[in-house]
Amino acid sequence: MTTATRLADASLRIKTEQSGVLQQTWTHRADYLYVLPAIVVMLIVIAYPIYYTVELSFFNTPPSLQLRDKIFVGLNNYSLILQSDVFWRVTANTFIWTLVSTVFAFILGLGAALALNRDFAGRGVLRAILIIPWVISAVAASYIWKWIYHSDFGVIGAVLVGLGLADRPPNFIDSVGTVLPSLIVFNVWREFPFAMIMLTAGLQTVPDQLLRAAKVDGASAWQRFWHVTFPHLQGVSTVTILLLAVSNFNSFIIPWIMTGGGPSNASHIWITHIYELAFGRQRWGVASAYSVLLFLILMTLGYFYVRALTGGERKERGA
Amino acid sequence: MTSMTPLVATRTRRPIDGWRWFGRIFLVLMLLYTAVPMIWMLLTSIKSGFAAMQLPPQWWPNEPTLASYHKLLDPTNSVGQDFLRFFWNSLFVSTATTILAVIVAVPAAYAFSRFDFPGRKFLFFAVLLRNMFPAVIFLVPLFILMRLLGLVNTHGSLIVTYLTFGLPLAIWLLKGFYDNIPYQLEQAARIDGATRFQAFLLIVMPLSAPGIIATAIYSFIGAWNEYIFAYTFLNRNDQLTLPVGIQRFFSENTTDFPGLMAASFMMSLPVVVLFLLLQRYFVRALTEGAVKH
Repeated sequence: MTTATRLADASLRIKTEQSGVLQQTWTHRADYLYVLPAIVVMLIVIAYPIYYTVELSFFNTPPSLQLRDKIFVGLNNYSLILQSDVFWRVTANTFIWTLVSTVFAFILGLGAALALNRDFAGRGVLRAILIIPWVISAVAASYIWKWIYHSDFGVIGAVLVGLGLADRPPNFIDSVGTVLPSLIVFNVWREFPFAMIMLTAGLQTVPDQLLRAAKVDGASAWQRFWHVTFPHLQGVSTVTILLLAVSNFNSFIIPWIMTGGGPSNASHIWITHIYELAFGRQRWGVASAYSVLLFLILMTLGYFYVRALTGGERKERGA
Repeated sequence: MTSMTPLVATRTRRPIDGWRWFGRIFLVLMLLYTAVPMIWMLLTSIKSGFAAMQLPPQWWPNEPTLASYHKLLDPTNSVGQDFLRFFWNSLFVSTATTILAVIVAVPAAYAFSRFDFPGRKFLFFAVLLRNMFPAVIFLVPLFILMRLLGLVNTHGSLIVTYLTFGLPLAIWLLKGFYDNIPYQLEQAARIDGATRFQAFLLIVMPLSAPGIIATAIYSFIGAWNEYIFAYTFLNRNDQLTLPVGIQRFFSENTTDFPGLMAASFMMSLPVVVLFLLLQRYFVRALTEGAVKH
């Protein structure tokens, strides 16, 4: 029976390859019904807003957001952005925030995945506890960390004072110098579990025989990791790092609730800055222009993201 | 050769132990990093407001009290009334989103997995790419759109938005599951006289139950924790979901840290329980696509 179906499959494929696109579309018209609901919803809520954002970026729209009264200003919004000092400050913050958070979340996640790869009593419980920060609401987590970092009664400050490392509790999130590192420590706390989950799954694809063979041949633990385990993790690592980078780049809740971008813009990143321009100061045009720039950056990242995600599929098909 | 093996084994044992100890210490540190904030939340939530604000702090509460929880869960005072309403709003929005997401994502994921229609690749890239864009880019036009549709200050605005923004990942997760269900099963059913739809409904759907569960949890947790859209679209106090409601509430009572910690705990509880119960499906679905190649 399997040969019969395979033959039928093959003949179908040959037939579709011969006919034109229109005819193919017609042949498969019923298939579109399955994706139609998804497409309709996404067109309304995603495609339309993208178009609108681009349009608004060329206009000055009054704070009331009365679209009738908008004035065409060409590229003025864009040049305003590039001339402002805040732009460069915020860009540097975004870069540091994304890079450092991604690197540390990945390294800690990899470490935890490797350390938990060995079977021992309580492993499941430990793994579950480590994942919790990633599951809970970022808003709840932000309040927890706000309390921990509290400048008078925060527990970290109290420990530092108790150990004699500081005279008085330091201002973690109220001072320009320490706010970004403090927020990154919190952000990594929330994100390393994601890397851990992905890499744990990746570790299961490493063939046991290879590791054992390497051991028999006298490879050290480090050599086995570097020459056997790590190459097998490359695919999943690429995807994980990209996803981490994208989600860090797009962070909003943590900086917004913890500091609102302050003090003096020291913890503003692109997303919070755009939000404040739009809904805080009602500068819709500038905020939209920012969004378009962001969109372009993300499209570049997205190119690599799609390539990383589909590269394997193509290989699989070729084989 | 045979005499070599034990020699090698003794030589490699010590470095292995070194790494093993390194791993243990690392895990203990990670456990502290992860658990200390959560433990401190729990300990603070059972203190009185006065006990929470002392220096040096009471490491263990002198007089543990559940007063904060009582206050939040008591419908007769205004705090409890608000909190329970926020909780109910969150539950309603998350459940509605989850049900709709499954209804829309299941056929779409099935089509992406099985059919070879023109435009399929393009659509799939579009679906993947959506995952990259932050909510803020869409916020202004969506706000205009919701105003146009008269949905500002309704739960409908949130459900529609969460549905759309959850869909790409939901479809991606489910597609991984359908890819693993052998096509031959459906073909056999169709040879036995089932239509394509019957084969889908009777053969594929039951087999993909774990995938659907995973997708449902993902949608639910996503909707439960969402903040930006709720923060922007909702203004009326009786409509707020938990993340926004808690923020609004505690911006007025900035010093009630035990109350804030108790609220954070109650808000985290449903998703953590849901996750722990069903984590097997969830983790599998999340990693399915990423490790396959």
